[in-house]
Amino acid sequence: MSNLILELRPPESHHYTSWSERLDSVARYSQPDEIHALCEKAYSLGARAILAVFDETIHEALAAFQLWRDVAVWAVVPNMFAFIRDLTDRGLVGAARARFTRLTPSGMARIGLRTMSTLGAILRRDFAVGAMLVSDMELAALRDLRVSRIFLHPQVTEIALAGGSAAVFTALAAKAERLGINPGIVTHNPLRAAAVLGRELRRFAVIISPCNPKGYKMFPDREACERLFRSAPAHFVALEVTAGGTIAAEAALAYIRSLGLAGAVLDFRTVEAAFAARRGG
Amino acid sequence: MTENRPLKAAVVGVGRMGMVHGHLLSIYPETEVVGFVDLKTRLSDHLTSQGLRGPIYPTVGALFTATDPQAVFVCTPTHTHLSVVRKCLSRRVHLFIEKPLATTRADAEAILRLATEAQVVHAAGYVYAHLPVVQAAHDLLQQGVLGEVLRFTAHAYVSEVFGPKRGWFFQKEQAGGGVVANMASHLLFILGWFFGPIRKVVATTRSHASTVDDSAQALLTFASGVTGLLDTSWSMPGTQMLDYGLTISGRRGTLVLGRDRILLHLLAPAPGHEAGWSQIHASDLPADTAFDVSPHIGGEAFYRQLQTFVKACRTGTLPFCSLEEACNTQRMIDAIYVSAASGGPVELS
Repeated sequence: MSNLILELRPPESHHYTSWSERLDSVARYSQPDEIHALCEKAYSLGARAILAVFDETIHEALAAFQLWRDVAVWAVVPNMFAFIRDLTDRGLVGAARARFTRLTPSGMARIGLRTMSTLGAILRRDFAVGAMLVSDMELAALRDLRVSRIFLHPQVTEIALAGGSAAVFTALAAKAERLGINPGIVTHNPLRAAAVLGRELRRFAVIISPCNPKGYKMFPDREACERLFRSAPAHFVALEVTAGGTIAAEAALAYIRSLGLAGAVLDFRTVEAAFAARRGG
Repeated sequence: MTENRPLKAAVVGVGRMGMVHGHLLSIYPETEVVGFVDLKTRLSDHLTSQGLRGPIYPTVGALFTATDPQAVFVCTPTHTHLSVVRKCLSRRVHLFIEKPLATTRADAEAILRLATEAQVVHAAGYVYAHLPVVQAAHDLLQQGVLGEVLRFTAHAYVSEVFGPKRGWFFQKEQAGGGVVANMASHLLFILGWFFGPIRKVVATTRSHASTVDDSAQALLTFASGVTGLLDTSWSMPGTQMLDYGLTISGRRGTLVLGRDRILLHLLAPAPGHEAGWSQIHASDLPADTAFDVSPHIGGEAFYRQLQTFVKACRTGTLPFCSLEEACNTQRMIDAIYVSAASGGPVELS
């Protein structure tokens, strides 16, 4: 396996097997030091990239981690759950203002100019322009990190794919080119992504989608997904490799290797279990 | 409707849920969106920018003048459901209504009565009941794996309300209530589906952040004799999405239903199941979903919900998630509020 990637997202956004497991995990991973330690465990297992949806804790931990480890950050923007919560609490303008005020003065100037140039589309509530504006604000706040790839949050991605709308992906690719980094796609619907984007799919350095021997979360089914993966294995990275923790990490990774995929994303549970197993064994 | 023609559907109300249903109807191979209805017709550009094709009309009447849907998805704020249903049933259209069914039990029963009299297929949007793992738990109970079911404990928590909130969702008159009506109702629906009609409720509710109920505890007794406790709050830290759990005890064993798995403990072997502990994980269950519209919120359940509704429309039979079942949920919601207000038990006939 050439690439192992650690997945980080706010612990509140994961599913857990019990309420007490949830509280334990959320309390633990709300500490930057614990996330830092998790990153270190993943690094020792060979992970050299971190796929992250950001909150303040994850941002702080990654800023510290990148000071002394050469790992790439793959940023997933925007944090849609936080944005939707803000929308409910503050309204669209309030949610945007909250993100804007977190920026540096130069970031504010850049976003301000961009807003002026797309004002008509913003007022029309254009989906691609709105999604990219919020993404831009989150990205601008990550300037202290070495971000090498950007992805849209799955909540945005799947809605755009359902609507067959390529505009937001084109905008993401253009944004990445301007920044000199690579765009990617995280999706549970890779076949739909291929159908919607056609040849444009090649503009995206990597497509991250569920892949495991049980076919778990592989939509529409395992066979169809594997056919797509085999058509360009170096283009795909596996997600949900342990099928919700029901397959041991080693067996899961062997399966990904057999398909020749470019890498595998490991969640915190898989990293903790693999690290403990290595220490124990 | 013939088998090979897509079901023509319209969506009334293009808020968050309306758009989700619009997308699913667009992508599902056996449906076609013929229009949207919303007072804010200026949202047309917004819908188009998401790839949602179909004209937007200001009223149901305008929709019916322009096109001929076979089914309507009602996704407007809860307090408008009854009047929207009345307008929709000026034609014989099948009905899908987002949860909760209404703001009051009387309105919910009026909606059911109208739909029944119109002899249309109907369903309610309690989406979690369509998760494969929830359906597997239902099947185990139906098969009698636990023997006679005696009791349960249940929780439904989310981190949503920690201070004053604005919007129709937090107005009792418009949303029908707070956490009980709008979050715990998902679990109440599942409880009703599992255990049958509700018979008695004793409950307390509290408003500690918003102006509606932010938390509640309810002791529920079903006509089947099953009793149990529900604890719910949308002011619990630690969970961005609804976290629910249900532990059911029977004479022959215990079933613990979580988001992705069932833990089963049987005192003696049952057909297909050994004695002792076993686990059924979501990844062990057959998947029949072609598109996941929302990976973190059980998007496959939305697809399966639509599948169930379309199949019901095709066959002219009521699905398990019919408005009749949703009325049982509404009776629980209503009884919880009545009991909390009176401080006493509420008996239902």
